[in-house]
Amino acid sequence: MRKRFHGLKRIKLRQSWNKYNLFNLSRVEPPKNIERTFFQQKWTAKALTRAYHGETIREKQWTRMFRRTIRSVVPMDYKMLAEKDGSEQAEGRGSGLDPPPDQKPKPFPRTPYLNMTYAPTERRLDTAIFRALFASSTRQARQFVVHGYVRVNGKEMIYPGYQLNPGDMFQVEPDRVLYATGAPKDRFERRAGRKIRARYSKKASNSEGSEDAEPQTPKSDPSHEPTTTDKTPKESLQSLLSQAKELLATPSTSLTAKRKQDLRAFQRTVKRTLGRPKTLTATSLDSQLAEIVARMITAPNTGLKSPSPPKPEVPVLSTPELQAEAATLDSTQLKTLRDALKDARENPVDPSKPYATPWRPREWMSAFAFVPRYLEVHQRVCAAVYLRHPVARPGLAEVPTPYGTEINTLAHNWYLRRR
Amino acid sequence: MPPRIRRPYLRTPQALPSPSHRCQCICKTRARQFSSTPKHATRVRDEMFRWLNGPGFVFRHPLPGSTNYLNAYDRYGRLVRAKNRLVGKNEKEKAEDEEKIDENADEEVNEDGEIVPKKPQKIKEAGIKETKNEPALPRETMEDLMPFPLNRQFRSQHVLSEELKDAIYERVMAEGQSVRTVSAALGVEMSRVGAVVRLKALEKEMEKQGKPIAFSYAKAVLGMLPSTPYVPYAPVTHESINDLPVHRATETQIFHPVSESRHFTRRDAGKVFDRELKPAEERVPHTELVQLEKWRHEGKIEVERIRLQREMEAKDVQSKKALERKRKEREAREMRKVDTERSEFRFQDIRVESVGRSGRSKEGVGARYGIPHQDRKKGQIKIPMRVA
Repeated sequence: MRKRFHGLKRIKLRQSWNKYNLFNLSRVEPPKNIERTFFQQKWTAKALTRAYHGETIREKQWTRMFRRTIRSVVPMDYKMLAEKDGSEQAEGRGSGLDPPPDQKPKPFPRTPYLNMTYAPTERRLDTAIFRALFASSTRQARQFVVHGYVRVNGKEMIYPGYQLNPGDMFQVEPDRVLYATGAPKDRFERRAGRKIRARYSKKASNSEGSEDAEPQTPKSDPSHEPTTTDKTPKESLQSLLSQAKELLATPSTSLTAKRKQDLRAFQRTVKRTLGRPKTLTATSLDSQLAEIVARMITAPNTGLKSPSPPKPEVPVLSTPELQAEAATLDSTQLKTLRDALKDARENPVDPSKPYATPWRPREWMSAFAFVPRYLEVHQRVCAAVYLRHPVARPGLAEVPTPYGTEINTLAHNWYLRRR
Repeated sequence: MPPRIRRPYLRTPQALPSPSHRCQCICKTRARQFSSTPKHATRVRDEMFRWLNGPGFVFRHPLPGSTNYLNAYDRYGRLVRAKNRLVGKNEKEKAEDEEKIDENADEEVNEDGEIVPKKPQKIKEAGIKETKNEPALPRETMEDLMPFPLNRQFRSQHVLSEELKDAIYERVMAEGQSVRTVSAALGVEMSRVGAVVRLKALEKEMEKQGKPIAFSYAKAVLGMLPSTPYVPYAPVTHESINDLPVHRATETQIFHPVSESRHFTRRDAGKVFDRELKPAEERVPHTELVQLEKWRHEGKIEVERIRLQREMEAKDVQSKKALERKRKEREAREMRKVDTERSEFRFQDIRVESVGRSGRSKEGVGARYGIPHQDRKKGQIKIPMRVA
């Protein structure tokens, strides 16, 4: 590990959203190559670009990854393709007729091929996570992968060097993404989080002794009907649990192994939820059980109704006074109120989270926020699809590199191994 | 030798009369310093904090409703396009100001290699209302979308807005349109359409399971990126959908003499490069668009064109179905399934010859006696290469 990752003396740009990096990016200049040998120029270019592209990859590995062939595309106009067969380009003396002097064609932008020198590193999983804005640096992305927070095509992938194939979908645990991209907690928020953790752990150690007794409770009242909607959430949960137990107790031929696994997972969830009365979400559990039951052929057709409240025009507020006041508002104000309530529900204050709540983006992030076109990112679920390998096209290279064509050309020349 | 005691730096911020921002910084964050380690204050570090609190302060928080890249600001931390707007307002009328924005949009098309249609109706809407008195901020130009000042060949490109993603999902899943049709109608690459459908399905699944959805994160990030809006009856092209990949064989320059009288077409030129190389109209992703345009040139009326296209699509679907059927038949022939209570067993016939002459073919199954492993060799990839 080097001494300084973000040095100020000798500028090395990094794949990170750090403010040091931003400052360096704002003042970086291309190296002065006057009176330097070609070798020296190439060496400097290689050192600068490698500090940004895959600095965790060993040089031997990178030289093996390097490819001198560069992918590129040319956007075609389908109207032109239908209209002309290409023979007009061979007219005259073989290279097309000269256009009339008054209508000069627009110069076609050149394709910056050599800006694509580091395209192979963009295929790596950790780099792709950073590019999809799920981590604040490639090193953090690498840590997420190694710690098992990343899935590729639904399966856990622990190798940051995994080379994504076109069509691969990768997802990062949303909580980790919020932690990586959110503002950090201040002192007081950290203390509040510590207190909550301490209380929770104490509670857990107290309730450990009584855990054996807990599964007994639903057995005592198996006559509970799940259709009644006026029960407390706890009671309804317990009845759901007992129903699941009954289903499991039926002879084994009626249930396949997969269904049994589903039911057991459901039971576990219910038990966990019963332990924490604050997070009772009977609706979601109800729907989960309903789904399992629906998939079974032999299941009794119980009328499982989700006890979700009807959605009124006026949002439900805590006190009747507030409710009465809300009823007097006009439609736009109501909409604003509803949006604010929705926002508060989606982004609540929660000291147990490792980031500042309500969540807000970390500082200095916006200057680094861009998503290259070879990725399709869905931020809501913190998942992205690697569509294709990055390509160069006229006027645009898809590999995000902080240096210009000259430096990238020199670096590319270095790896051609003709020094 | 006695242990060396490092002398504290003479140029500590407390000892020197420092710029006001620095003082502020220290007083606010920590009241007392218990550390005896000298504060590492160098000239560059001071400069950095001066920049971060001065011209660089604009990057601390996102610019509401716009991107916020380094290249959009001058060295004093002023937004270049906002500056232009003020100058323009002093000199000319408001109407002329709007024209100027239009020119900017036009310039974008010229510089860009992609086909980006002009969006005259969107320009006024795209501006940002800063305050009630000030006029809207003009849309970003090419220059403003460059996150790296040294690299002018890289730009932050537009992403799909949530509404556009919803529209794509709706058209494919609810209306049952083909990916090809949706791609051509909305100007979104086919692979991207597929990815959006997949990701939206994942979102719905997670919603159903009651897993947390990162709404606040999505809103914040999409606010920092340039995005393509969804206009239901006049879709804005998101990207060029007819990208022709450059073939390896065409990278060389060939001098090929032909007689002057010969009608030398694209197809002929392709054959010169490589015998197998097809012409561009057959290699682009949307060949059906080219075909439609050709029918138009032949003078076919619209009803006829639509009928022909329907026929072509039906034929395509049928050939795909036939292939799928064949694949299934072959699988059923080769694979024997035995369903038990606990699991399903699948038996497949394996041929010994599939290992090949060297015994190292990937199709080969099982360990071969006497063939040493290659996994300790240099350059062998030992981590998974694909996840099914």
